[in-house]
Amino acid sequence: MSENEARLSLFPVLASKSKNGCMGRTALMKYMYLLQTVRGVPLGYHFTLYSYGPFDSDVLSDLSIAEALEAVKTELALYAGGYGYRIRPGRNAKWLERRAEKFLARHSTDIDWVVKKFGSFTSAELELVGTIVYVDQEAISRKKPTSLDQVARLVHDVKPHFTEAKVLQYARQLANERILKASSKGL
Amino acid sequence: MISQPAFQRLRRIRQLAWTDYVYPGAMHTRFEHSLGVMQVATLLYDAICDKSAEILKSDLAYNKDGLGRDRQLVRFAALLHDVGHPPFSHGSEDLFPAHDGKNYKHEDYSVAIIRSELRSAIEEHSLNANYGLHAEDIAALVEGSAKARQPIFWRDLIAGQMDADRMDYLLRDSYHTGVEYGGYDLKRILTTIRAIRSRGGHPPQLGVSRGGWHAAEGLVLARYFMFTQVYFHKTRVAYDVHLRGALKKLLPHGRFPLPTGESLKSYLRWDDWRVLGLLGSGKGGADGTCLRSRNHYRRVYETPEVSTKKDFEMFEKVKRRLGKLVAAEESAAKSWYKTGPPDIPVVDDHNPKDVRPLSKYSSVVRGLKANNQVFLYVAPENFDSAESRIGEITKHVRK
Repeated sequence: MSENEARLSLFPVLASKSKNGCMGRTALMKYMYLLQTVRGVPLGYHFTLYSYGPFDSDVLSDLSIAEALEAVKTELALYAGGYGYRIRPGRNAKWLERRAEKFLARHSTDIDWVVKKFGSFTSAELELVGTIVYVDQEAISRKKPTSLDQVARLVHDVKPHFTEAKVLQYARQLANERILKASSKGL
Repeated sequence: MISQPAFQRLRRIRQLAWTDYVYPGAMHTRFEHSLGVMQVATLLYDAICDKSAEILKSDLAYNKDGLGRDRQLVRFAALLHDVGHPPFSHGSEDLFPAHDGKNYKHEDYSVAIIRSELRSAIEEHSLNANYGLHAEDIAALVEGSAKARQPIFWRDLIAGQMDADRMDYLLRDSYHTGVEYGGYDLKRILTTIRAIRSRGGHPPQLGVSRGGWHAAEGLVLARYFMFTQVYFHKTRVAYDVHLRGALKKLLPHGRFPLPTGESLKSYLRWDDWRVLGLLGSGKGGADGTCLRSRNHYRRVYETPEVSTKKDFEMFEKVKRRLGKLVAAEESAAKSWYKTGPPDIPVVDDHNPKDVRPLSKYSSVVRGLKANNQVFLYVAPENFDSAESRIGEITKHVRK
């Protein structure tokens, strides 16, 4: 467990800092993606792209392990948009946090950043933001400069239920905040 | 495509590494599995096109030609998704080189092979005039790149909760090992699989109709059973440890070559035959000897399948007490075959707005937790001494 306990310890911390002390599975997945990709927190996940944004099934396996350790508890809830999960800190949350004390202290600003910046986003918005960042990161890894228009077009192709104009609006916001790297020059 | 040397190499990569040391029939290869994944992916694709035509047309703008083209794309992606496997499959993946602080995965090798070794075979085949496919389209779908564009919807058939890979390997591994645990009702899944329209600004997703939730439950349970009985079998896992140890001695600098340029060509020359030849000539160090003589490390301590805080505290005490006697520590959470909480959507055909996760219907699935078991191994000659040290601790705890 020791190798994973640092990333597991993030689960109850992120949940407790979220609105009403809980978060959903999509929020957890995208927070982990943004922390690793944008803030460089070493989590060791391998995110790849799906139509619902960057995803790594290891995050959900870790969630299940955190549940078994009672560091978090999860319940199914009915929302206006359908069923979803509520993840809250469990009774052993503090125990896990103590074990990863140094890691959590080192990344406390990153944790606060992700919750503050994206805590009010809906799960669909988080999927969109994650996809925009993913497209931007792919441009970086291929060393290909790109424009916000190109990013918006590609994201729209992946997620046709969002219009290009809508994608561009979110991409501009992310570029303004210097979260996008390859396409920020297109401002 | 199947005749290409890079694909034929899969005949020389065993699906389950050294599992035949436990289940003697497990001699099957990535070659037959890859053919099977292509077949299952085709069946799933056709079933979805048949049952969810309206969603594919209205939400994803598909017409008949588009579906015909992407059917071929999905078949290629399914066929080639494992073409980058190292010798003995997942057993040796830990020896991939690192980049950006993480190790490469076999998928990185698969897409590199599709983009280089197989490019002309894909793009220049006369039949491709009908589809206009590029190697990049297939690679993007396999690796999960935005360059896949709209067909990324189908990625769940290649790597997802209900993917063709899993559906094939559970049945195939079960058949070859001779256990019954991997069985589930594929035919029922094929009649009930759907593209499901989501609410709240989410894209359509793959799931089953309500009549198929027991079939989906069966798939989840098959995976759970196969994990505990085959993939994370204590002796099977011990041979993964020995394989890694031997390969560290056999590979240049103890790592596989990079998935780029000439290194990729040299990677493709590594297969089971080459490793077995080297082992047979006495190479591979102490671990090579263990593999040749079937004399493996012995599991001396295990935590429960779903370990709690208390179990891990005990585990740490035992590990400290065993000290240098510990030859290996293997965790289910790090296994490639590990299970997570399933989240398969189930739709009511009569009321398509009624979409619930499988766990809402299935109390069994609701109760499933990821296996986070950890095994400690010692050398055979240290087993008695290790057991006696553990006995001292457990006796003390009982008191």
